[in-house]
Amino acid sequence: MNEKQDNFEDLKQLLKFKRHEIPPPGYFNNFSDQVVSRIRAGEAGGGRTIMDRIESEAPWVINFLHIFETRPGVIGAFATIVCLLLVSVVVFSERADQAARAQLAISEATTPVGSPMASMTAPALVAASDSTGIVASTNPVTSLQPVATLFGQPGSSTLFQQANFAPGSH
Amino acid sequence: MTMSETASIQDSNTPGGMLEPDLVKRARKGDLDAYDELVKRYQERIYATVYHMTSNHEDANDIAQEAFIKAFQALKSFRGGSSFYTWLYRIAVNKTINFLKQRRNKNHFSLNDLDFNAEHDPDLVALISDKTPHREIGLTELQKKLNEALMQLSEPHRMVVVLHDVQGQSHEEIAEIMDCNIGTVRSRLFYARQQLQGYLAEYAKPA
Repeated sequence: MNEKQDNFEDLKQLLKFKRHEIPPPGYFNNFSDQVVSRIRAGEAGGGRTIMDRIESEAPWVINFLHIFETRPGVIGAFATIVCLLLVSVVVFSERADQAARAQLAISEATTPVGSPMASMTAPALVAASDSTGIVASTNPVTSLQPVATLFGQPGSSTLFQQANFAPGSH
Repeated sequence: MTMSETASIQDSNTPGGMLEPDLVKRARKGDLDAYDELVKRYQERIYATVYHMTSNHEDANDIAQEAFIKAFQALKSFRGGSSFYTWLYRIAVNKTINFLKQRRNKNHFSLNDLDFNAEHDPDLVALISDKTPHREIGLTELQKKLNEALMQLSEPHRMVVVLHDVQGQSHEEIAEIMDCNIGTVRSRLFYARQQLQGYLAEYAKPA
């Protein structure tokens, strides 16, 4: 596009007229002082806000938000996309869970009873303690047996008792 | 050592005599005196760009100050890939465009006065008397028409016209400031001028 062929010479002359629009005399005398004092005030007041940080470090976020302001229809489209993504993630995770459960069931069915894998399965939590006062634990303990401790042998009354915090008890 | 050499060494130690990269380096370390000097060097051009975009002195004042403040806060992220001047301009341009998008359809003029030279600009006087021989047109009226016509343009088109035709920036500089290619700058400029010529047909008829 050759500018000379575009016949914009008059327009360009006219636009140069804008250069004559100038601020009041002395306007720039204090401009930099105002900027510096605002910077100092901002530093004293704890620095930048989160929005300022986003604006300087990720301006695309601000531009993205401005799209919402100027085109409300985009909000609906964006919300629909987000919902679809959410639903697809939920569906996908459900399917993944089902596949994992099926795989586990297959492996349980194929594992021999006496094998170490079989003993890895968690027993049901026993709510009540047995006669020795030992509270049933979870996996991998499969039976309640007094264990050897640093201070005694198994079976030498080193069993744990449940603490009783009732008033008047020791 | 001659007197002039001594003077130049002294100058280079004060912010006023320092080169831009040194000032930027010091400002990055939090030296506000150095930054004050950078503001002084570019305040008029940044203000003028924002003013011609908004046609409002108060808005231009606020946005220009905010652009300088934001530039200081973001100085650590300035990699030096472009000149400080271009980088600063980019911040001011983005701030202005964002401001105008928020203020859409709520234009409120607060125009600066014309300087003394406007009445004596021979090109302008010739243009007005040539194009509108049967009308007495005042400069203030022309100023208003011009600003109204510019406000009809979209922000990117107006920005290209302001930077090129009003402020005299090159296509390359504008492309860097607006983060687009030179072809885009040229096509925006062409389209914007066509639009303006339509709005200002009374004053700027094609030759």
